[in-house]
Amino acid sequence: MRVFRARTVCVTSVVVAGLALGLRGQTRDGSRIFIQSVGLPGIDRGVIADESHSPGTVETARRAGLQASLVRDRIGSAGIPYVPGRILVKFRDSASAADRQGAMTSISRTAVMAARLSYADFDVVRIDLSEDAEAAATALRQRPEVEYAQAPYRMHTMFKPNDPLYETMQWNLPMINMERAWDIQPQAGSTITVAVLDSGMAYKDATITATLPAFRDEFGRLYPALGRVTIPYSAAPQLVGGTASGRIVAPHDFIWDDDEPLDFNGHGTHVSGTIGQLTNDGVGTAGVAFNVKLMPVKVIANEWDFLLRAPHDGDDQDVARGIRYAADNGAKIINMSIGRTGPPDTAPAVESAIKYAVSKGVFIAISAGNDFEDGNPMEIVAEIASRVTGAVSVAAVDPSKGHAFYSSTASWVELAAPGGSSRPFGSQGFIRQQTFDFAFTDTFLLPPSQFRAPRFDVFGYIGYIGTSMAAPHVAGVAAMLMQQGITDPAAIEEALEKTAVDLGTPGRDNTFGFGLVDARAALRGLGLAK
Amino acid sequence: MRRALVVLLVVLGVAAPASAQDPPALSIRPFVMGTQQAFAAVKTFDATFQKSRAPFFGGGVQVVMLDRIIVEVVASRFTQTGERAFRTDSGTVFRLGIPLTATITPLEVTGGYRFPMWEHARPYVAAGFGSYTYKETSDFADPEENVDTRRSGFVVNGGFEFRLHRWVGLSADVQYSRVKGILGAGGLSQQAGEDDLGGVAARFKLIVGR
Repeated sequence: MRVFRARTVCVTSVVVAGLALGLRGQTRDGSRIFIQSVGLPGIDRGVIADESHSPGTVETARRAGLQASLVRDRIGSAGIPYVPGRILVKFRDSASAADRQGAMTSISRTAVMAARLSYADFDVVRIDLSEDAEAAATALRQRPEVEYAQAPYRMHTMFKPNDPLYETMQWNLPMINMERAWDIQPQAGSTITVAVLDSGMAYKDATITATLPAFRDEFGRLYPALGRVTIPYSAAPQLVGGTASGRIVAPHDFIWDDDEPLDFNGHGTHVSGTIGQLTNDGVGTAGVAFNVKLMPVKVIANEWDFLLRAPHDGDDQDVARGIRYAADNGAKIINMSIGRTGPPDTAPAVESAIKYAVSKGVFIAISAGNDFEDGNPMEIVAEIASRVTGAVSVAAVDPSKGHAFYSSTASWVELAAPGGSSRPFGSQGFIRQQTFDFAFTDTFLLPPSQFRAPRFDVFGYIGYIGTSMAAPHVAGVAAMLMQQGITDPAAIEEALEKTAVDLGTPGRDNTFGFGLVDARAALRGLGLAK
Repeated sequence: MRRALVVLLVVLGVAAPASAQDPPALSIRPFVMGTQQAFAAVKTFDATFQKSRAPFFGGGVQVVMLDRIIVEVVASRFTQTGERAFRTDSGTVFRLGIPLTATITPLEVTGGYRFPMWEHARPYVAAGFGSYTYKETSDFADPEENVDTRRSGFVVNGGFEFRLHRWVGLSADVQYSRVKGILGAGGLSQQAGEDDLGGVAARFKLIVGR
């Protein structure tokens, strides 16, 4: 699915169209670019290391059993658990030792004052474990010697990433209840591999040597040949920086037929950021399943791929091969923020590959389409997803949970997730993740006299909107669900749909499908009665 | 159960006629009880606890009038920790590793009739009502997401009481309970289409008194 790039949507589309036309007559001689696996390093920031707290393992069962045997919480009158056996009491300064003792004995014969703890302006009164600490605290509060008294209610983590842009710009992650989902699963999908079938990924440092030929743009202007150029390329620091350098699994490029699926566009890197941007490292933005393994699979060609004469274009063939490659190489989730329109049943190769992947236990999230205002045509890949249990097509909502103006509406829409919208939200409505600074990559937008080689080593937090941005939210949550123990793709789809927050017309509808994905509700599952 | 039946038949075989004793007109008898209940909500309990049979422990008091009319009040408790889960429409269960503790506290009042057929063994039947407190708590839950509710249900039971001693008796019976209004409105029970918190229980009571 092509994106609506925040800054350059109009210009880019015109130029790309021109480039495609201009390149049509050129010969694809199969010449390759030369990539050396050395280059400028990315910014090295700390990252939370993977943990081994995976549900379903023997260790987890033992932890749960040990915790159940060690923790003896009591449930208070409001349903809030507290630690029995003590009360937190603040006596008034005027209360004498005798007054305090009297207050304690008035509420329990077993009440004993414990030694004052450090960093506490209150005392701890110990009572028998069988006694009701809430009732005792209530009784104590009635005493004139007591300023306050309470049971020690159990606290739990409420993880909120410290990435600075999370607080100010990432409205999308709280919208799908991510903070409380991370409480449930702090490791955020650490053993799951998510394949990103896209324009590639800025996953490694490299130095590219290539020959840039002359070309004409859509206005017929001739851009000069630059000859042999050296292009710096860096991994996105917020994808593979720090200790996360080992998270990349089996990269492959079906556009260049090699194992170096470098992103020359930025889309795939942005999508990968939504899935797994490094999080809680005090830098930039957060991602959904920020500890997953990432498998970059390049199946989409973009401007520089065309200019550099890649052997493949990014068509059904490449996508079908990419899906099968991901399924055969350990991916458990595939994100496809890609697609095309066309008549029904015209993508049997892709459909066969999707069914193959799902049959191998792979869940697939597919963007539902951005063509609502362009006649709302059939989106072929998304339509396939709606017929395959274990693959879902994802529509986009705006920051107010409304229908994003571009998001296709049709029977194939199964779920909704934040895709962003500039109407009427402006830049505040974008989905921001780290990707290339286009001022350094899209040099073909400059006048011919200023045309120069690109550099892919400068990054920024760029706003995108599109169902391309919605799908990776679902892919990330699906990765966490799989980590949590739902290993069957059909069951993941069922869980996501049943726990989605219904939007629009009650029940499934063509705009939001079953509703807005709710990460916390899906991860938490069900109890007996609730 | 089979072993209990054999014991019952042996005891019946050696039982003396009821007329050999002189039962009191009114007897108040405390007892302790253990049960093994097979829950009606099999799929729901299987999904959470990987089993649908579990013990209750409790006690109560019986009032026996004229050796035949029996009124019983019994309180018991079941508590178990399992995991929250997701159950697909096709019935596959995925356990999610999030601890969940369910506690059921029945308070049941029954009235029944004892058949004075043998001195050492009294068959009896009874029926009555119960009040059932159900609590469900789990990790990461908001207070309103936990469950703390009480509903009423009905019970019927039948079994035998055996006199082990002039002051000590042992009873074994089977009780059927039906408790609506707790399960079925949400959670796994709704997914599984199960709305009965009751079931069939084998109950064993150690009774003190004549």
